[in-house]
Amino acid sequence: MSKVDLKSPFTPEQEKVLLGWTKKYPYTNLGLIEALRSVQDWHRMITPEAASRVADIFSLPFNHVWGVATFFPTFTRWKTGEKRVGVCHGLSCYLKGSDKAEKCLEKTLGVPKKQATPDGKLSWETMECLGACEQAPALLVNDRLVGPATEEAIAKLKDLK
Amino acid sequence: MTKILTKHFDEPKLHELETYRRLGGYEALKKALGMERKALQEEVVKSNLRGLGGAGFPVGFKWSTVPPEDKVPGPRYVVVNCDESEPGCFKDRVLVTRAPHQLLEGLLIASYVVGSKDSFIFIRGEYQNQYDILEKAVAEAKAAGLLGDVNIHLMRGAGAYISGLDTALLETMEGKKAWPRQPPPFPTVAGLMGKPTVVNNVETLSMLPFIVREGGEAFAKIGSAKNGGTVLFSISGHVEKEGVYEVPMGTKLRDVLALAGGVKGGKKLKAVIPGGTSMPPLLEKDLDVALDFDAIKAAGTMLGAGGMIVLDETVDAVEVAHNIERFLTHESCGQCTPCREGSNWSERILERMLEGKGEKGDTENLARVGENITGKVICALGDTVGMVTRAWTSKFPDDFKKRVPNNG
Ligand code: SF4
Ligand code: FES
Repeated sequence: MSKVDLKSPFTPEQEKVLLGWTKKYPYTNLGLIEALRSVQDWHRMITPEAASRVADIFSLPFNHVWGVATFFPTFTRWKTGEKRVGVCHGLSCYLKGSDKAEKCLEKTLGVPKKQATPDGKLSWETMECLGACEQAPALLVNDRLVGPATEEAIAKLKDLK
Repeated sequence: MTKILTKHFDEPKLHELETYRRLGGYEALKKALGMERKALQEEVVKSNLRGLGGAGFPVGFKWSTVPPEDKVPGPRYVVVNCDESEPGCFKDRVLVTRAPHQLLEGLLIASYVVGSKDSFIFIRGEYQNQYDILEKAVAEAKAAGLLGDVNIHLMRGAGAYISGLDTALLETMEGKKAWPRQPPPFPTVAGLMGKPTVVNNVETLSMLPFIVREGGEAFAKIGSAKNGGTVLFSISGHVEKEGVYEVPMGTKLRDVLALAGGVKGGKKLKAVIPGGTSMPPLLEKDLDVALDFDAIKAAGTMLGAGGMIVLDETVDAVEVAHNIERFLTHESCGQCTPCREGSNWSERILERMLEGKGEKGDTENLARVGENITGKVICALGDTVGMVTRAWTSKFPDDFKKRVPNNG
């Protein structure tokens, strides 16, 4: 254990959390997606090193974990901001001006999509239907719906702590 | 109009156990636990409850395909599918937000019938608010001793639309890529970790307390033939009042639209997508179609998950088709070549049409690509790719003609 810990990209507390995910459900592997979600939260992305350590903890081949980490849109190979902002461009949101919201996000945050602001606080991206089509164009911050992506709502993102 | 799921939605604190119980919540569970499991299943068969996550499969029958414990011993599971992510669909989010205990009660009834001691709620990761609500509701129910010997586990997805398809959902839960499985075996025989598993949608399970309380026949009477009870429509797009509306199965499209205040700004209706963007649209002339699984099929489309999108006359069918194909390309799991490549081709053809670079024969190409996918892939997403282009090109030929210079 200690030998592996030295190489671990995680803090001892984080190691504990990951181990917790292996025990949370009736089968070890049922916790893998949640474990990777934790890694994404901590590192704002999934690196091969992190995936490799997760693979060790779950006793899975690296290829398996890397395959999963590269399959799901929640996991990124680019570093997101601390606040990850998503705007939906599904049909209902498109009909209500998601294009305009995207332009407004780019202008207000001053970075293109999938790139964090220089202070690392914020990043934005387009997302597929967020299940909030009645609040189109739906705006999400760290998996929490914040309502329609109006100019005012987007302007407020910069004040998020 | 009869309401089952949204009956108490005016109660301010319906999401709290105390309120839910004051209104008779968990009485059905008590009644269920005093009944024979077989008898309960019979009630559900009698109710004509259909799976409301999109497939419309009769729920009682689905449960009956779980092998009996003496034939296949060992654990069996119930999994709640709370992963709606098709554009237009948001009723499960509203149900979980407003009435989490209604879902839990339904889940506990189903767990008893199926014999599940570990039951799961798989919720899309983007529903963090709803996850918190459910977590609190489960804790409340547990503290009140309502869970009995059932463990309810919450588990989040990671942003893939395909995870909402039952077999892909099970793969996701098992910590794998969300690649749909090719049945048979069906999940009720070999589901989570190869064990018999019933996967039911949030809305479906939320109907169970009513069915147990009032009886299957009472539920069946509310709906239309072979389509019991009510159904929720989530309505968005160009309507006056977007939101979730509950109506008896078989209600006419015209009446459902009226509930949402009709087309916004008094404009003319161009089309209604009835059940989520992969469903072929209905037109003005279809306003008298009855909305249940069977009648709508006769009208050439599907009820899906009740995600209704209303489009006014200003909308261009090519833009719509492009938006949907872009979505499907993004969400194709990549397992079958015809789907992976064909969705992408369809998107690109539509993209060049939008850019004014449409070529002669593009509309036919779209049809050809679609035909080469349909029936040659593992899951319904691939079939949808062709269905979408076929529907939009055939219903709005003029919009497509305009995009192809010199098409004659
Ligand atoms: S049809 Fe498409 S989404 Fe379905 S399994 Fe095949 S590649 Fe995946
Ligand atoms: S289409 Fe944007 S939230 Fe559904």
